[in-house]
Amino acid sequence: MNNDIALKADHIVKYFYEPQQFQVLKEVSIEVKKGEFVSLTGKSGSGKSTLLYILSTMDTSYEGSLSINGGILTGKSQNELAAFRNEHIGFVFQFHYLLTDFSVIDNVMLPALKLNKKSKAEIEEKAYQNLKMLGLEDQALKLASKLSGGQQQRVAIARALINDPSVIMGDEPTGNLDSKNTDIVFDIFRELTLTRHQTIITVTHDDDFAGKSDRIIQMSDGLII
Amino acid sequence: MLATNLKIAKVHLTSKIKQSIVAVLGVTFGISMYVFMNSFMTGVNDIQTELAFTSISHIHIYNDGPPDNTNLVKKVYKGNVAINIRNARVIQYTEGIKNTGEILALVRKQPEVIGITPQVNINVFFRNGSNKINGTLSGVDVDNENRIFNIASYMTSGSWNGLQYRHDGVILGLDLAHQLSLNINDNLNLLTPDGVSKNYKIIGIFQTNVKNVDKSKAYINISSARQLMDKNQDYVTDLQVNVRDFEITEPVVARIAPVIPYKVESWQTSNQQLEAGSKLRNIIAQAVSLTILLVAGFGIYNIMNMTINEKIREIAILKAMGFSGRDVTQIFLAQAIVIGVIGGLIGMVLGFVIADVVNHIPFKLGGLNYLPMAYRVKDYLLAFIFGLITTLVAGYLPARKASKIDPVDIIRG
Ligand SMILES: Nc1ncnc2c1ncn2[C@@H]1O[C@H](COP(=O)(O)OP(=O)(O)OP(=O)(O)O)[C@@H](O)[C@H]1O
Ligand SMILES: [Mg+2]
Repeated sequence: MNNDIALKADHIVKYFYEPQQFQVLKEVSIEVKKGEFVSLTGKSGSGKSTLLYILSTMDTSYEGSLSINGGILTGKSQNELAAFRNEHIGFVFQFHYLLTDFSVIDNVMLPALKLNKKSKAEIEEKAYQNLKMLGLEDQALKLASKLSGGQQQRVAIARALINDPSVIMGDEPTGNLDSKNTDIVFDIFRELTLTRHQTIITVTHDDDFAGKSDRIIQMSDGLII
Repeated sequence: MLATNLKIAKVHLTSKIKQSIVAVLGVTFGISMYVFMNSFMTGVNDIQTELAFTSISHIHIYNDGPPDNTNLVKKVYKGNVAINIRNARVIQYTEGIKNTGEILALVRKQPEVIGITPQVNINVFFRNGSNKINGTLSGVDVDNENRIFNIASYMTSGSWNGLQYRHDGVILGLDLAHQLSLNINDNLNLLTPDGVSKNYKIIGIFQTNVKNVDKSKAYINISSARQLMDKNQDYVTDLQVNVRDFEITEPVVARIAPVIPYKVESWQTSNQQLEAGSKLRNIIAQAVSLTILLVAGFGIYNIMNMTINEKIREIAILKAMGFSGRDVTQIFLAQAIVIGVIGGLIGMVLGFVIADVVNHIPFKLGGLNYLPMAYRVKDYLLAFIFGLITTLVAGYLPARKASKIDPVDIIRG
């Protein structure tokens, strides 16, 4: 197995059965190298989010096989996959999905507290750094529900980065951001791929953003073109 | 890891504080009712027992009378034999208990026994002029009788100890005295079944509040009773025995019954209605309080289910970030436990307060002044444990449901 491969998806087939049987993904195969910055584009409804949920191990009802960092993940139990996600995958959802009753800093810290590999002080320190990077250090103690949409999205990015995951996936992570903040996020992602060799896979509708990334994978009707 | 889950549980409980309070109140109510019902029933049972033991002892030894001799012929001549019996007559059998000394010594040796008293009980007519009432005259060992039945504390006038020295003295029940229109220091005439009539002086009056006793019983000194019956100084009709724990009479009975040639009977056998009454009251108390706990448990179940439906997105995010099903169960079970423990602690205090208030409600009947109440640590602990079990079950079912939530289903929208 090639050591440079971060993620490999082989002949992924996905059906939805409700309301009627419908094939969303038609034998999709992808290979992403470590440290690569990949953009996933395509028109609405082409199956980008669906593919990303499978790649992130959250969706397990598909045909084909998935391996990340050389280990096959297809067929593993929900709890094993949860532990794997916690350590190796950072995910930014299409909609923000913060825990609304918790403060911003708590939201960012939670995946690291779950991983339980660093002291609480170290985790807090790192969480503040991430927030600062995204221009949110003065929002840390607010309740997550009190932030604007764009701010919430940036908190979600800070949270996705907290465990230094080897693969970071985002479903339109900059969808709610102005161009200045989009540039900041792009620069952070670029920096992570260069200095830490982390892999980035993001769905985007922003042609500028996609154009600056290493590679564009375009989808149409459940196929890669 | 547990610390993180507990922190999440705490946020859940505090962010929906009103819901949490309602759940806690449900448990509080259930547990306080459990404590109160059981304290009340135990109080009633204790009073019942106390009243019962003013007239009966824990173990009663007496001469049961002769065996069934209605067909003596069959016992001697088995099979079909024609016999002719002339001048058939019932011969007198021995009454009362012989070798009292030996039996007393044997019973006193049993480690559980705390007291024994001999009695000479006679059915008599109490007479005052033309007034004639049937009742029981008890010739008693003054000290020992009091040790077992605590009769001195029921004296309304005169003194129990007077019986020790006044061989012509009698102490009788309050209702009996009223019916005979007699008072202390008056004379009372007794008529025995053998036709002996004798006068005694009333030196005391008692009231046990057990009507049957108060209206038909009188005490004299045991030697006077023997004299009255024309018996020797060993004559005894009944031996009354008390043991340390009135609930546990069987071992003693089992040990002494085979070696004593008389009837040895525990109070449980001779007064099954008392035991039945106290058992039934306990069952009612348990049934009512467990029902209340069940209802409280149902309330918790509903509230937890509601919380989980509200937090379903949050659960999905936690799982997407890597929290396992076990973590989710822990988070929601911890909430149930906190609700159970807080509700339980307040419930025990509230239960005590309710019990205390009810204990001060006047209730003047059968010698009582207030409604009876028992304060037993056991009731409080059991209430707490049952409450905790209820909340655990009520919390576990929704928590398990939450742990099975598939995050993609929710996040996909
Ligand atoms: N839970 C579902 N049940 C049935 N069909 C679904 C479900 N989720 C998505 N689909 C369908 O699958 C197809 C792909 O959806 P998907 O969300 O992957 O599109 P997308 O490329 O992410 O679009 P967008 O750019 O709008 O986010 C769409 O036709 C959608 O209607
Ligand atoms: Mg999408």
